[in-house]
Amino acid sequence: MKKKLPKLLFNSVCLLVYTFLLAPIVVVLLSSLTTTEYIVFPPKGLTLRWYTELVDHPEFMQSFTLSILVAFGTAFIATAIGTLASLAVVRREFRGKTAIVQLVGSPLLIPSVVFGVALLQFYSWIGLAASPLALVLGHIILTVPFVMRLVVASLVGFDRSIEQAAMNLGAGSWKVFFQITLPIIKSGVIAGAIFAFITSFDDLTVALFIVSTDVVTLPVRIYTYMQYQYDPIITSVSSIMILFTVALMLVIERVLGVGKVFSSKN
Amino acid sequence: MSYLSLENVVKTFNKTEVVKKLSLEIHKGELVSFLGPSGCGKTTTLNMIAGFLEVDGGKIEVDGKPVHLLPPNKREMGMVFQNYALFPHMTVYENVAYGLKLRKVAKSEIKIRVQEALEMVRLSGYEKRYPKELSGGQQQRVSLARALVIKPKVLLLDEPLSNLDAKLRQEMREEIVDIQKKVGITTIFVTHDQEEALAISDRIAVMYEGRIEQVDTPAAIYNYPKTDFVSQFIGEVNHIQGKVLEAYSDKRCKMHFFGNEQIVAIQSVKDSEVHFFIRPEKVQISLGKSNESKEAFLSKVERKMFLGAKTRYILRANDQHLVADISNTVLNPNQIQEGNNVYTFWNPEDLLPSRMVR
Ligand SMILES: Nc1ncnc2c1ncn2[C@@H]1O[C@H](COP(=O)(O)OP(=O)(O)OP(=O)(O)O)[C@@H](O)[C@H]1O
Ligand SMILES: [Mg+2]
Repeated sequence: MKKKLPKLLFNSVCLLVYTFLLAPIVVVLLSSLTTTEYIVFPPKGLTLRWYTELVDHPEFMQSFTLSILVAFGTAFIATAIGTLASLAVVRREFRGKTAIVQLVGSPLLIPSVVFGVALLQFYSWIGLAASPLALVLGHIILTVPFVMRLVVASLVGFDRSIEQAAMNLGAGSWKVFFQITLPIIKSGVIAGAIFAFITSFDDLTVALFIVSTDVVTLPVRIYTYMQYQYDPIITSVSSIMILFTVALMLVIERVLGVGKVFSSKN
Repeated sequence: MSYLSLENVVKTFNKTEVVKKLSLEIHKGELVSFLGPSGCGKTTTLNMIAGFLEVDGGKIEVDGKPVHLLPPNKREMGMVFQNYALFPHMTVYENVAYGLKLRKVAKSEIKIRVQEALEMVRLSGYEKRYPKELSGGQQQRVSLARALVIKPKVLLLDEPLSNLDAKLRQEMREEIVDIQKKVGITTIFVTHDQEEALAISDRIAVMYEGRIEQVDTPAAIYNYPKTDFVSQFIGEVNHIQGKVLEAYSDKRCKMHFFGNEQIVAIQSVKDSEVHFFIRPEKVQISLGKSNESKEAFLSKVERKMFLGAKTRYILRANDQHLVADISNTVLNPNQIQEGNNVYTFWNPEDLLPSRMVR
């Protein structure tokens, strides 16, 4: 009896937290199935009409592709830079290290609106037009600190004699990195890549300042569409975004087998 | 001829010389221990041999060829680390096979050699386990198999047993020596456990502050220490001093200790103070004066400690402490009580002259 009460309390808190986290997603998914011309929850009737109607809105598809490309590019480059930077920060001593760490980490502290404005100013100053490249560059700056946080965490306590053992057995530095170091910090690196991907994929604030009429990411597209119309197309597009992200997670989980990516290392 | 040779090897960290012109010759198939207190440069020296650290001076040769400029992956040395350093993401099999894969050995041969190596360390059947599913002793055996499977020229072990409990340490050290002798591999074994070093080594290199103080067989190191550091570091010693009453021409002196006279084989001059070390087990006591103890002096038993096979007596004579370890089969400890006066003596050959000048 004495032990049951805390357990009950714990379970209820968990349930509450999960409900609040997941409820909006469920609301979006379900209301995309409504037969009404407006968004409503719970949905009235069930139809896939809002998904088929997307065919008449190729601009959503274009934005979707662009967002995915930008997110993949960002994730790839930010993870590479972030991982190498983490190695340097954790393992080397050099002048101005603290300053560089602070500088790289600063996007975590600056409001993204401010960052967006700054980026807009900077791009126009160097003459970089709105383009996927401009988006990727902005998102890299935004996401490298996340990657570094995660990779640095997985590097702390890394026993370097493991690398020495590999060298001793005949591995050159490339082999040591790809066959020993990287697999051991894998969970941190993948977590960083996923963070970078998601941050880029659903970034609205920064992208708003960079997009032009023909370079529009999906979140920006949804946002602008909503300012004029409020029909269930919005929810169907959002649902696709959610399902896509979930599918991606499942694939990563399957291919790389890192169920514990976010829970603990190794 | 020597197989592994270090010649005036120097290592400097932040302007302090940590290894100072160290020279050492090791024969093929020999097991040499590096023994010394913490911070004396054992690991640093080993890392220079393995190539993890560059030498700042001198040279290292294996089989007549200089290796000190080669990167670690080209030196063909097998290293066993204190914390095992197994690859956590690989199974036991993959760990042991790694060095062979790098050498592009055929799959079928890898299989045979890994099996052999695991058999040698008595770990057959553990191929599919991951390191974290093994005990410390098992992990260290995998690490040994992984180092030996590539048939390295030299085996380097850096305190390989210090993370194991006392009983396992003893078992493992015997196992390591067995394997080492069977394979016939030239080996350096770093330790700061003197008992370990005495038990397993062909020769011991006693290190102190970046230098080798003495390289010798365990018995020679123990019985004929060449420096004060070695005398004090290996085993325990009593510290005694005496005055030279007479110096003879044949490198002997008549010495005065504790109100007693004794002829000792040292070279000195009349009236000088000479310091000696003597090991506790070389100090003898008796209740009465006998033929054997005719040069004995009286001392008072301050404390008596039963240590199993022997008893330790803390004695006081002329305001100086002396420690005597006496086997209980030689002297029944019940015969002597704290506070008793006993005759204390030693064989003059057991005195280790000190170079200390005060
Ligand atoms: N990378 C380094 N930078 C600066 N000083 C170092 C470095 N590595 C070792 N030292 C210093 O060199 C000296 C010798 O170190 P070393 O690790 O060789 O000692 P050791 O004999 O192996 O000791 P232990 O028995 O504690 O392992 C120590 O004083 C240590 O502080
Ligand atoms: Mg050491």
